[in-house]
Amino acid sequence: MKIPRFSRKTLCVPYAVFLLFFVIIPMLIILFYAFTDKEMHPSFSNFIRFFSDPTKLSTIVYSLVIALITTVACLVIAYPVAYILARSTLKKKFVILMLFVLPMWINFVLRVNAIRELFNLLTSLNGMEWLAGANYFKTVFGMVYDFLPFMILPLYTTMLKIDNSLYEASADLGGNAFTTFTRITVPLSMPGIMSGVTMVFLPSMTNYVVSDMLGNAKVTIIGKFIYEYFGTDWHMGSMVALVLLIVVFVSTWLSGGFKSEENVRGTNL
Amino acid sequence: MKRASALTLAALFLLPSLTVLGGCGAKEKATVLRIYNWEEYIDDGGEGALLYDELHLTDENGESVPSDLIDGDYLDWYRETMGVELSDEGPELLDDFCLWYEKEYGTPISVEYSTFGTNEDMYNEIVLGNEYDLLCPSDYMIMKLAAEGRLEPYDESFFDESDPNNYYVRGVSPFIRDKFANNAGLDSTEYLWKDYAAGYMWGTTGFVYNPALVQPDELASLGWKAFTSEKYKGKITAKDNVRDTYFAALGVTYQDELLALDRSAEGYSKELTRIFNATDDGTIEEVEPTLMAIKDNIYSFETDTGKADMVSGKIWLNYAWSGDAVYALTLAESDENEEGEAEGSVLLNYYVPESGTNLWFDGWVMPKGSNKQAAQAFVNFLSMPNNAMRNSYYIGYTSAIAGENNEMLAYADYLYGEEESDTTTTYDLSYFFYGEGTEGLATIVADEEQAACRQLFAQFPPSEVIARSAVMDYYGEEANVRINELWSRVKAETLDAWAIVVICVTVLAIAAFIVFVKFGGKIDFFRRKPKKGYTLVKQEPLR
Repeated sequence: MKIPRFSRKTLCVPYAVFLLFFVIIPMLIILFYAFTDKEMHPSFSNFIRFFSDPTKLSTIVYSLVIALITTVACLVIAYPVAYILARSTLKKKFVILMLFVLPMWINFVLRVNAIRELFNLLTSLNGMEWLAGANYFKTVFGMVYDFLPFMILPLYTTMLKIDNSLYEASADLGGNAFTTFTRITVPLSMPGIMSGVTMVFLPSMTNYVVSDMLGNAKVTIIGKFIYEYFGTDWHMGSMVALVLLIVVFVSTWLSGGFKSEENVRGTNL
Repeated sequence: MKRASALTLAALFLLPSLTVLGGCGAKEKATVLRIYNWEEYIDDGGEGALLYDELHLTDENGESVPSDLIDGDYLDWYRETMGVELSDEGPELLDDFCLWYEKEYGTPISVEYSTFGTNEDMYNEIVLGNEYDLLCPSDYMIMKLAAEGRLEPYDESFFDESDPNNYYVRGVSPFIRDKFANNAGLDSTEYLWKDYAAGYMWGTTGFVYNPALVQPDELASLGWKAFTSEKYKGKITAKDNVRDTYFAALGVTYQDELLALDRSAEGYSKELTRIFNATDDGTIEEVEPTLMAIKDNIYSFETDTGKADMVSGKIWLNYAWSGDAVYALTLAESDENEEGEAEGSVLLNYYVPESGTNLWFDGWVMPKGSNKQAAQAFVNFLSMPNNAMRNSYYIGYTSAIAGENNEMLAYADYLYGEEESDTTTTYDLSYFFYGEGTEGLATIVADEEQAACRQLFAQFPPSEVIARSAVMDYYGEEANVRINELWSRVKAETLDAWAIVVICVTVLAIAAFIVFVKFGGKIDFFRRKPKKGYTLVKQEPLR
């Protein structure tokens, strides 16, 4: 029996088909719906309605701020952890890393529910009553908890690849710990930071399950709007989705996410 | 040869997909009935199912023994109706339907059963072209689907009372039948509900409250205004959907007006319905501050966390549908500790505002292109009194079926009936079993508390509650847009215009700066400029 041989071009076909049907065509459909009205006539009314509505613009701002705080908090927590893990000579590093990543293996809704119950417990304690109304705090907390592994992993894998001789060279040339950190660790872990930021920032703008369950549905982020509009008005929903897409595109572009160089190596999850 | 093996391989892959047909197991050439219903809205024989509990008691040897249910001949009824003996695993309604259908109509049938979470999800599926034979939308969605011409009317033979298999028309409550025959008092639609829909479940909305924490008198004096009362700040919940919360906000805003209406006047019901269905600009303007006040005052917008939060005592008041209320009340009082003592049990009550409330229905409708014969047979099967009881018991909601011989009255009596004593009262349900305006024809003797504020009151509301309840109309396309805008203004925070401008300018400035850094190529964060006298040697980046 002859072993069939495929050319590289043929091997691309399945993915090209996937791209076409699940990425490109849906995008075009969103674009189509965003710029049509109920009768399917071309229309800018959704566009005008979106940008003349202070509520929607405010929600974008709120979502951005929530996502930004989440990202910064994740970075602040994850960076030292990743650094210590990558630089330590511990034999069971793997175990510690797993402890951080393990929650990802448990269903996300279950985890958010668990956090909700924990907050309930805390709220019932003396002096913790303020938690009941702290919806924004609880939302951000839930997001940080949920997305932390996505920050730790890329950071850890990039830092692991930093050659130890660079640290030795830095020490040889008289660099103190601070200089070594700012001149070697930070620049060389930049790809990891970037991919971590991308992976945390973008989903936390739309993850309305967290804001509904922990923010008592009193915190509204842009993802919730999209969900609600798709219940009643697909055209407006598509417009909101499109605007979000553009915001995401611009922020990814600005943070250098499209560089096709060695930067991408940090993203291997 | 090669081709043949490839075909076998393909067949092997396809095989599992052929066997996933749900319901009654795929029989050859069986008709398929595609049902699209709410989640958890039918007796699926799971834990808590009526017959499973009632029929499968164990004797002292641990053997399973059948017991009696209500009139004691359920097993005979089952054998006769389904043509088989009841299996040990506990009955499942959909399987029973297949047995019954084949016995009655001679052709095998299988059921594809799927569920949805909201009316809007269901509507989207239909619009996208998914085909079903039977759907179970709520009142306003029935109106919308019918107005858009997406529904098949029921056959004339469905309403033929002489056919013994027409359980729906023979058993439906006169109260529901009348509501469906005159569109529940709404006159905004030109077609009749009864032509397109058969009632399934119905109920009211109201507050589940904890009498240990909320004074019933106080709540009664506040009515709808409990939503905005400082007393219950952070202790009350609203529904996370625009229709229910808008209805509540109308109640808060126009409570005094509603209370001032003359109950005995002829146009009372119409006026009540009009107020609770107002969607004009003036009303929306008046309701918006109320909605904002509600948002500030409540603990959360929720759809299903309210029940658990009531039981745990985190909230005191939960705006709920009557069926959920029955569920919450029952769950709370049966909360047993490890020793099986009812130690952790909480007594909850159900309250309906004096000024008026929402009366809602869920009904079976057939979309265009449906297999009408099978769909109508299924509606009839669900309308058998025993099956109506099974569903009602399992999901906690109130069935639209009274039963040909008012079997549901026996069921209500079985659940709530008591020996007559000082603490009992006669509870009149004549309106449901004999039609509105009747009295004293169908009564049960029940505990006073049950009749005033507990499960009985929630599951079978008395006629005075029905008198002050209004059905919610479909808003219409144009009003829908305005109300959705209102809802998004309520749910989201709106910043002042200047704040948005400042933030946009800042963001643009940051973006411009980053672009400058990326393409200006002059500023480098991590490499100091060379000191005087040194020159920078271009280096390959470190790897």
